[in-house]
Amino acid sequence: MNSRRTKIGAAVAALAASAMLLAACSGGGAADSGETTGTLDFYTNKAAWEPDFDELNGASETSVDISLNTTGYSDADQYDAFIKQSFRTSKSPGLFTWQTGSSLTELVDEGLIAETTDIWSNAVDEGWVTEDLRETYTVDGKQYCVPMNIAYWVMYYNTKIFEEQGIEVPTTWEELDAAAETLKSAGITPYYQTSTLFTFQWFQQMVAGTDPELYEGLSTGEVEYTDPEIVDIMNMWLDQHEAGWFSDAGSTVDPAVGLKQGDYAMINFGSFFNGSLDGAGMVSGEDYDMFVIPKTNPDLERTPVAVESGPLCVAENAAQKALGLAYSEWWMSPEAQTAWSEARGDVAFNPKATVSDPMLDELGTTVASDDYLVYDRYYEATPTPILTVALEQFGAFIANPGDPLPFLEIIQAEADKYWADQE
Amino acid sequence: MSRILRTSVLVVFGVIWLLPVYLLIVNAAKSPLTFTSTESWVPTDFSLLGNIAEALQLSGLGDSVLSTLIYALVSPAVAVLVGAAAGFAIVALRLKHGFAWFVVIFGGTVFPLQMVLLPLFDGYSRVGLFDTQLGMILVYTAISIPFSAFVMRNFFTGVAHNVFEAAVLDGATTWRIFARLYLPMASSALVAIFILQATFVWNDLLLGLTLSQSDNVRPIVTTLAGMQSTYGGAQLSTVLAAGVLVSLPTVVLFLLTQKFFARGLALGQY
Amino acid sequence: MASRGSQYQWSARGFIAPGVILVAVLLYLPLLWTTFLSFTEYNGLGDPDWIGFGNFAEMFEDPGFIVSLLNTLLWVVGTLLIPVGIGLALALLTWNLPGGVWLRVPFLIPYALSGIGVGLIWSFILSSNGALDQALGAFGIADTPRWLVDAPLNTVVMIIAAAWQGVGVNALLFTIGLNSIPKEPLEAARVDGATGGRLFTSILWPMLRPLTAVVVGLSIVASLKTFDIVLGMTKGGPGGASETLALTMYKETFVNSDYGLGSAIAVFLTIVTMIAAVLYLRQQLSKKHEF
Repeated sequence: MNSRRTKIGAAVAALAASAMLLAACSGGGAADSGETTGTLDFYTNKAAWEPDFDELNGASETSVDISLNTTGYSDADQYDAFIKQSFRTSKSPGLFTWQTGSSLTELVDEGLIAETTDIWSNAVDEGWVTEDLRETYTVDGKQYCVPMNIAYWVMYYNTKIFEEQGIEVPTTWEELDAAAETLKSAGITPYYQTSTLFTFQWFQQMVAGTDPELYEGLSTGEVEYTDPEIVDIMNMWLDQHEAGWFSDAGSTVDPAVGLKQGDYAMINFGSFFNGSLDGAGMVSGEDYDMFVIPKTNPDLERTPVAVESGPLCVAENAAQKALGLAYSEWWMSPEAQTAWSEARGDVAFNPKATVSDPMLDELGTTVASDDYLVYDRYYEATPTPILTVALEQFGAFIANPGDPLPFLEIIQAEADKYWADQE
Repeated sequence: MSRILRTSVLVVFGVIWLLPVYLLIVNAAKSPLTFTSTESWVPTDFSLLGNIAEALQLSGLGDSVLSTLIYALVSPAVAVLVGAAAGFAIVALRLKHGFAWFVVIFGGTVFPLQMVLLPLFDGYSRVGLFDTQLGMILVYTAISIPFSAFVMRNFFTGVAHNVFEAAVLDGATTWRIFARLYLPMASSALVAIFILQATFVWNDLLLGLTLSQSDNVRPIVTTLAGMQSTYGGAQLSTVLAAGVLVSLPTVVLFLLTQKFFARGLALGQY
Repeated sequence: MASRGSQYQWSARGFIAPGVILVAVLLYLPLLWTTFLSFTEYNGLGDPDWIGFGNFAEMFEDPGFIVSLLNTLLWVVGTLLIPVGIGLALALLTWNLPGGVWLRVPFLIPYALSGIGVGLIWSFILSSNGALDQALGAFGIADTPRWLVDAPLNTVVMIIAAAWQGVGVNALLFTIGLNSIPKEPLEAARVDGATGGRLFTSILWPMLRPLTAVVVGLSIVASLKTFDIVLGMTKGGPGGASETLALTMYKETFVNSDYGLGSAIAVFLTIVTMIAAVLYLRQQLSKKHEF
């Protein structure tokens, strides 16, 4: 009993002291140990990929003598808060996954992220990455982090249903609409939708597909959500709703299972979705396939494609900073990316890497051509407070479709507040 | 009401109550490759063991089991005793301002746990408790105390005060009265609190997520939760299978301890 | 009596100290930091800026906050009616019944299940064309509501899901209460011919008061904090229609990184819960015992 009391007493004193420290100072961190080989502690919000990272350890140990010790977080929001808090302590991570866009800028502005300009310059010289991608990782002319993954937002479809209905892969928006009509008249719901979290993609698709500058303007605050052009696009979405083109918003069925059992024929998702579809027992190229969604406005020169890229970052004040940067450098190489593609089965950002899934390989090549324009996904392009409100409002619109203006007004009110604070 | 009627009502409602559990098991047993959501009630195949194996492989649950077991046993046990001691101090020893002190302890449960997570993480990493088993035990104990104190305080108010006075007249010390008289007579309540809190700790997600990172410190559900993700990961039936697996120990615990509650522990005899 | 009690004050302090210290250090200290943050503007990076009551003003101006507040009230009322009511009924039905212990088991099993499994299986049941709709369809009921989409129905079905998990615990606590009732007054009442309803109102209910206080008190506190099940099943949607205060707090803090506003909601929630708990406990317990 006594020893327990003493232990608790010690813990009490220590915690009380810590609380005072907590209030008094900020910005912890430890000195960089300078080591470039060994075990690197790695944090990720993509917990489901942990086995894939473990699989990659074989390759990284052979090449650069580094292996990852992965800690996965299932809740993305809590993960973000955990990482932010960790910068205040001695636990700032030597390698962690993050988001591009305003989340990255926020950390860079506070001086929390290690610069990777040298790694990028080298990679660009070697032809390992495109200049376009470099832009996504640039803040004030310098590069930070390296791309962990890249995903294009495309349309997945159930090939059996398309065959049965005699539908060819649409190459224009008109053909896409015609396909939806054919499906609907055959009693098949054309598109998947959900009223939580992934509520933005169809809006993103139609706005960027109508006018990429309009889309860009939304993310910089130059275009208002109540802009007549945006209202028109929302009304187009409403018409599609009224035509019965979208799946039941109240369904919680796993989207991959829904596509498999024919609840709907098409689903607009990121190219990481192959993994889920394979897991649900569908065969790539046989049971399902994908196409790049045609531009909504046929007058556009290039077809816009939404891209999502998740960075691997190194904290500036991490004890394992050197080790993290060494791993980042290796990560960019074709060798690492080939191994990663094998483990994970993703589109590779490095054109010199070999992609194991032919469907994803083809997608990567297609999108890289001059006929396509890659733009940042709505999720990263939109400042977080506006995004939160927008995701909710799109969700409410999807659940109970009606006059779009009230929904847009609520989003715009948040946007007004946000942009006013930025000045 | 007649016994037969009572029994039939209980059986009917019991069956209704178990329907979701039936769904859980039936669907956890379906192969992810042939899984559909259109025949929820019909068992199609039996891949439960395969799904459990898949879940174990995906999440590396094995490492978490031992530490979770320690947390789920030690913390509730300490919390039950600490809570009983607090109840004893307030009720039997008539601590001055007892109600105020009681509110202080009970107050520990009124705010949402999410609110103390980040300060705890900060404090823990500064004093070296982050990602340690001691740190996890301490926080689980603290979390369990208010409930324990609440139940025990109310339980002891049901004990006539002359029980205490009689023991004093016999020359017993307060410690002896607590350990030999009050604790034994509260055994069914103590066991109930212990089981409920052990279940809570076993199933905790939030604290484990925030205050630990190593595989051998992280509690089991935190590890498990990592399996499901928008970015690929386990299929529904695999996650359900993992849910069944993780729940087994607590279900067994509930079944085994049923006899404690069967005993009618009458206070009147004291 | 008072003089006799006072000689144990030091001993009493010793007995209560471990509980007070652990709770104070591990729960109240962090809460103090949260309270401080509620008066600041803070995004989780750098240093907080003191802004006084700005967050509280912003909170009450937000229409979403009012929706959360109303939903939370619905949770409090619903939780008292369903899980507490059924829990008491179960305890009474199984009390002194041969095999009663085992008849209670089906109601306890849900509590032993992990939260993840429970959230998943209820989403699965309540999904459009999910298990419930399929079962209703078998009885020829095809036109069902969208359980998780239409407000306030979605909150009601989530209360039922929460009740499904929580009823067993309440029944267990009530059973402990029933088992601790002295035999003599019961026998006396039975000899006097009291049965059923009159036995309940005249003997059982008054004797159960301490345990009822526990169950109701815990239920109020738990329902005010309702979080996991809503996050798991609707994420507060669609459009915030099923959000509770705890979820709003979580969203502001963890999703929007607005630690100040999130903390302000937490402080508000804590004060409301504290007031409810103290008022309730005083009213319930002071009759029984002098402090």
